[in-house]
Amino acid sequence: MGAAVILFEVFLNGLLLGGMYGLVALGLNLQYGVARILNLSYGEFFLGGAFAAFFSIMLWKLNPLLSLFISLPIAFAINWLMYQYLMMPLIRRAPDQDGLDADVVLVTFGLLFVFQGLALVNWSGEVRGYSFLSVPVNLAGATVALNRLAAFLGACLLALVLFVVLRHTRVGGALRAITIDPLAASIVGVDVRRYSALAFAAGGALAAAAGMLVSTFISFSATTGVEYTLKALIVVIMAGVGRVTGTLAAGLLLGVVESLGGYLLDPALTIAINFSLFMLVLLLRPTGLFTRA
Amino acid sequence: MDRRTFVRGSAAAVGAATLPHVPAQAQSAPDKLRFGYAVTMSGPLAPGADSTTISAYKLWQKRVNDAGGIMLKKYNKKVPIEYVSYDDQGKPDELLKLTERLIQQDKVDMVLSPYASHMNLASAPIINKAEYPVIMTTATTNKTYEQGPRWPYAFWNIAQPKASSGALSTALAELKKQGKIKGRVATVHPTVEYGVENNEAFLAAAKADGIEVVFTKSYPLGAADLQPLIREAMATNPDAFLAFSYPPDTFMLTEQMQIVGFNPSVMYVAIGGVFPTYKAKFGSKINGILVYGPADASGTGMDEFAKAHQGMFNRAYEAGTVNVYSALQITQEAIETVGEIDRKKIRDVIASGTFKTVWGDIKYVNQLNANPWAVGQWQNGELVCLFPADKAGAKPMLFPKPQWS
Repeated sequence: MGAAVILFEVFLNGLLLGGMYGLVALGLNLQYGVARILNLSYGEFFLGGAFAAFFSIMLWKLNPLLSLFISLPIAFAINWLMYQYLMMPLIRRAPDQDGLDADVVLVTFGLLFVFQGLALVNWSGEVRGYSFLSVPVNLAGATVALNRLAAFLGACLLALVLFVVLRHTRVGGALRAITIDPLAASIVGVDVRRYSALAFAAGGALAAAAGMLVSTFISFSATTGVEYTLKALIVVIMAGVGRVTGTLAAGLLLGVVESLGGYLLDPALTIAINFSLFMLVLLLRPTGLFTRA
Repeated sequence: MDRRTFVRGSAAAVGAATLPHVPAQAQSAPDKLRFGYAVTMSGPLAPGADSTTISAYKLWQKRVNDAGGIMLKKYNKKVPIEYVSYDDQGKPDELLKLTERLIQQDKVDMVLSPYASHMNLASAPIINKAEYPVIMTTATTNKTYEQGPRWPYAFWNIAQPKASSGALSTALAELKKQGKIKGRVATVHPTVEYGVENNEAFLAAAKADGIEVVFTKSYPLGAADLQPLIREAMATNPDAFLAFSYPPDTFMLTEQMQIVGFNPSVMYVAIGGVFPTYKAKFGSKINGILVYGPADASGTGMDEFAKAHQGMFNRAYEAGTVNVYSALQITQEAIETVGEIDRKKIRDVIASGTFKTVWGDIKYVNQLNANPWAVGQWQNGELVCLFPADKAGAKPMLFPKPQWS
């Protein structure tokens, strides 16, 4: 294999990896951007989607995609309930967004451990993984894994759907209005509580969908959820809170820089490269890459 | 006699009457033996601690208590095991506090090993100072070579870096001598202590054995894509690819090597390679892959062990659990040999005896397990033990690694 082809393959792999980063972050951006709830237990719903996929293929011998029929409604329902009954009391008593953030971080941090404990007790601590679409695909001479490609396409599709819904539907208009200014939105007749709950629940369902797709190529265990919360958080902060297509773009940027940087400099530096990029964005564009000034 | 004198006199009489009973009570057997452990039950290390260590503790307690308990021949009585357990949260300082607490406050009879190298190392000075013999079951680090002998009450059960990585180098040198490989080796490892130390130990052994390391690179733990690294290693055309890896990357390397069609004659992955979930994920594709820390399924008592494990947890055992279980068997045998809780004597029995366990015969030299199973291989769906090659039960290596089927 020529050096140019390998470099192209590394770039492609970075793109797929970036798609995964974007995918992981989409739901969190909906939760944080629209519902204004920084949900630290987000990764646990990602993990729920992964476990549902794992059980459907390993226990029930079903296509892991079918697990979405179970995991999406459950994640949606739990997140909706979380918003209505755990977050609403905090929102009501919060003096301002900063005060709310502090309360929410504490509560969702606690929830993280509740969900993690439940996962450990019910599913034990073993490292899990399964093989699905684990076959090579040739793209212009470069080799990529079909499961990673599928997750990438899934990320693009979900981002597109989200974009269309937000831009071109009435619900989307309401959600965008809340993103910009919840108070003003309520004055013009948007039911802020209802739509925020909807966005929060949809964010949780997106997390489960991401977990399903990513579990086809990355192993996981009952305690790995929090890693994905952190990954998602970095992407969301980089993209700008509330930016959907920006989330995907920021993910892609991270993936490609990580991949090429790791290959050209040293693979041990991949995480360092990621965080350097993150810090650079924080310094130069603290509100995010894709936020209008 | 006035009343006061009478009371005093009676008290003295009662006291005298009860006095002879006091030593008799001290002689009577304890109604239970209290074992204490602080193991990680929350945080990133919790899953491993649960499946490797805590499951062995639970299984051992059940099996011993079902059989009546541990025999204390001083009292000619079997005494059941009771646990006092804490979550150290994966924090060494927490572990130290809890170990002190187990010893000083809970006054447990014996202490069991915590989980993970650094935690084992952290607790060694404490249990040594309190003179509690403990077989450390999950420490593999070069520090045991230097510091181990300082702590006569701490024993080290698993293969240390020089043993496990040295065995690989010896095997490769042998294959080279037979003309089966050219002796070109690529190594990769995550940037964690285990990976770094094992890689260094291998590089040193390879140098001594005349093995050429053509590629060696590290990656951060939790890397989400190792394909570029595999491509780089592949480009050097090695006949052996060794990964001193952790479970997530063990799984990822195995999958991505298949994707790019990299099939070296010898392939080794470290932690996670023996997991039942590794076999469940890859099925027959893992045939011929070398792995760290195996257990011999055909060993003495393994059938009963496997059955009991399946019955209690409804899943297959992990090889690491067999190692932990062997330490518990040795502890039990030492207590039964001494016949009472005399920790100095128990320590001496462990230090000098040879023990038949589910993990083979174990003997400690300078408190280090003299000959632990270090390297195994998946052969036709079964995990077999290869190295040390002179240990009873060792099988020949399947070479070359078959194609990814």
